[in-house]
Amino acid sequence: MDNAQEHIPLHDHKILVANRGEIAMRIMRACCKLGTAFTAIYTADDAASGHVRLARELGGEKSLYRVSSYHDANELMAVADAAGCTAVHPGYGFFAEDFRFARRVTKRDRKLIFIGPSWKIIRELGDKINTKRLARSLDVPTVPGSDRPIYDELEAERIAKTVFEFQEQQGIDHPLVLVKASAGGGGMGIEEVYDPDQFRSVYRRIRNYALRQFKDEGVLIEQRITDFNHLEVQIVADRSGRSPVHFGTRNCSIQSSGRQKRLEVAPGFAPEALSYTFDADRVLRDIVDYSLTMARKVGYDNVGTWEWIVTRKGDPFLMEVNTRIQVENGVSARIARVRGQGDIDLIAEQIRIGLGEPLGYGQADITFDGLGIEYRLIAEDPNNNFTPWVGHIEQFTWKPQPWLTMLTHVPTDEQYEIPTEFDPNLALAIVWGKDLEEAKARGLEFLRDLRLTGHNATGEPLQSNVDFLKTSTERILRF
Amino acid sequence: MLDISVVLDEIKAQPFREITIKTPHTGTVTFADIRQGDKVQGPQGQWKEKPGTLIATLERERNPKPIYAGEKGEISVLHTELEGRFVEAGTSLAVVRHPLTRAEVEHIILRKALYLFPAPERAKYYFTPDVDKKIRASDAHSVAVREGMELLIMSRMKREVPLHYSGPSGVIYSVYFKYNENIDAGSPLIGVCPQDQLPAIQDVIMRVQTEWTERD
Repeated sequence: MDNAQEHIPLHDHKILVANRGEIAMRIMRACCKLGTAFTAIYTADDAASGHVRLARELGGEKSLYRVSSYHDANELMAVADAAGCTAVHPGYGFFAEDFRFARRVTKRDRKLIFIGPSWKIIRELGDKINTKRLARSLDVPTVPGSDRPIYDELEAERIAKTVFEFQEQQGIDHPLVLVKASAGGGGMGIEEVYDPDQFRSVYRRIRNYALRQFKDEGVLIEQRITDFNHLEVQIVADRSGRSPVHFGTRNCSIQSSGRQKRLEVAPGFAPEALSYTFDADRVLRDIVDYSLTMARKVGYDNVGTWEWIVTRKGDPFLMEVNTRIQVENGVSARIARVRGQGDIDLIAEQIRIGLGEPLGYGQADITFDGLGIEYRLIAEDPNNNFTPWVGHIEQFTWKPQPWLTMLTHVPTDEQYEIPTEFDPNLALAIVWGKDLEEAKARGLEFLRDLRLTGHNATGEPLQSNVDFLKTSTERILRF
Repeated sequence: MLDISVVLDEIKAQPFREITIKTPHTGTVTFADIRQGDKVQGPQGQWKEKPGTLIATLERERNPKPIYAGEKGEISVLHTELEGRFVEAGTSLAVVRHPLTRAEVEHIILRKALYLFPAPERAKYYFTPDVDKKIRASDAHSVAVREGMELLIMSRMKREVPLHYSGPSGVIYSVYFKYNENIDAGSPLIGVCPQDQLPAIQDVIMRVQTEWTERD
């Protein structure tokens, strides 16, 4: 095990917070809770961000460094050494799922702990095809189709035929098969097939495209699922890798047109309040069990999220595993209790177990209470393809409530210029209610009381997704 | 029209520019063998292929990065207190008092004489492919612009939108943005010279070429 080092108590560690904005702030606060020192970084563009201010407030000696870029690993390592850090927390995005970075951190001369799964696990689960193969070997359902690149036309046709047949058996009206270049990415070299007779010509086109573009003619064939809910399971495991637990499920089906999450709900379904065309309790139980089975198999040793597609028939398919803390971890923490105690902080748990502490509790100790909604407040125009909006924010206030948690890096007491280098995420608002109705009512109340105004350089008013979130609240957890 | 003699006199009264040499990234600083008051050189050679005077070396993760003077001049400030210390990105190492060159004087005067088309937002800017091709093939002077013409692409937050030119018709005389560089709202992107003023502008350039003597 790479991270097996001699045991150092938490308060003798120092963590490099290798991220920005909201997540950097949550990591710093978690460090303070644990009594662990930290060092934060920022770029010239980001000097007005709340994470810089918080680092000055909470940080001790050598706790804030200006760097040239968050994407430069040399910069992070140099700061870690200069500040005397013992561990690196990558947050989400940037280096969070980069196994090469995680490996470098743990294997360099001055070794550091990577607060995340060990690099081998990131490498194993970061590869979607590999994850799919692993899932199948454990009888975990995955999207029907190939689990390796196909190079043979006859084999490709055989797979496409079974995928079409499978959908007919499922009673799907318009079966769709997806053909994609195995080496592709970012939406390049993907085509849908509506008609089995068209398959061969599409297959050849994609194969030739892949050979030209990626010098690899391998092609993947999958079922294209159009009518589904996006669920996920929060897994937490300590460095022993032997006893992973789950912190419940989340429903992340409300997304932008570019398939980015905008609203997350925990738990994943609400069968006591809404009726579903399938046994929702059973689906939630199944995806949790499948996720834990896989986590145990690979010896998963930090926090991670198993992402699932659930069809209208109630069939779950594993989509991918995110080997990092996610934006929406807070909504799961909000409804969770450990031995009856609330106020769970999954980021603090991640750091604690990442530094080698045992988890200290089992699944039986974790209970859930009520329902949480997380709203992602973003400066964007939902009516125009969610185009990001840039400008300065003049007023950003909300009414404090006992059931509301606001996570934001946007200062509320001075104007803030949205940096153009990053996505214009402004805040995460987590609302809790004892049941679906109460959570929805409180969510709407929060959105109604929110004041968010600003202007851009040409004097046009700020655009945000607040109205989109309001209308979306109505359809939470409905399928 | 601009009174060129007045402007030239103004510049002659203040013929220097202070250039701050900053660290491009973090690292440990080792100064070269230079002192305050030393003369330094900028890049030299036909294609500026020889770097300027070495100011310091910045070492990070065992990679030494030489930091050279970008222009010639005299070291007016040298932060020797940073010797051997780990510094942040963007830390000032030295200030060079740089005597203005002909090209720079031209640049100053052109910014006063040309119509400057400003950046509407902080973003990265690129010429549209057609215009870009033309500029590469000959030079910016060959591109005529007119009101409403689709001239630039504004790129920010991973999205690109076309930007239309507005202002007097003319040719692009100067380009003020670099590839992949963020430009602040209000900063000029291009300097445009109306067709009928072209002789006058060329006259100005002529005068600078003859009247401005470069110092060593």
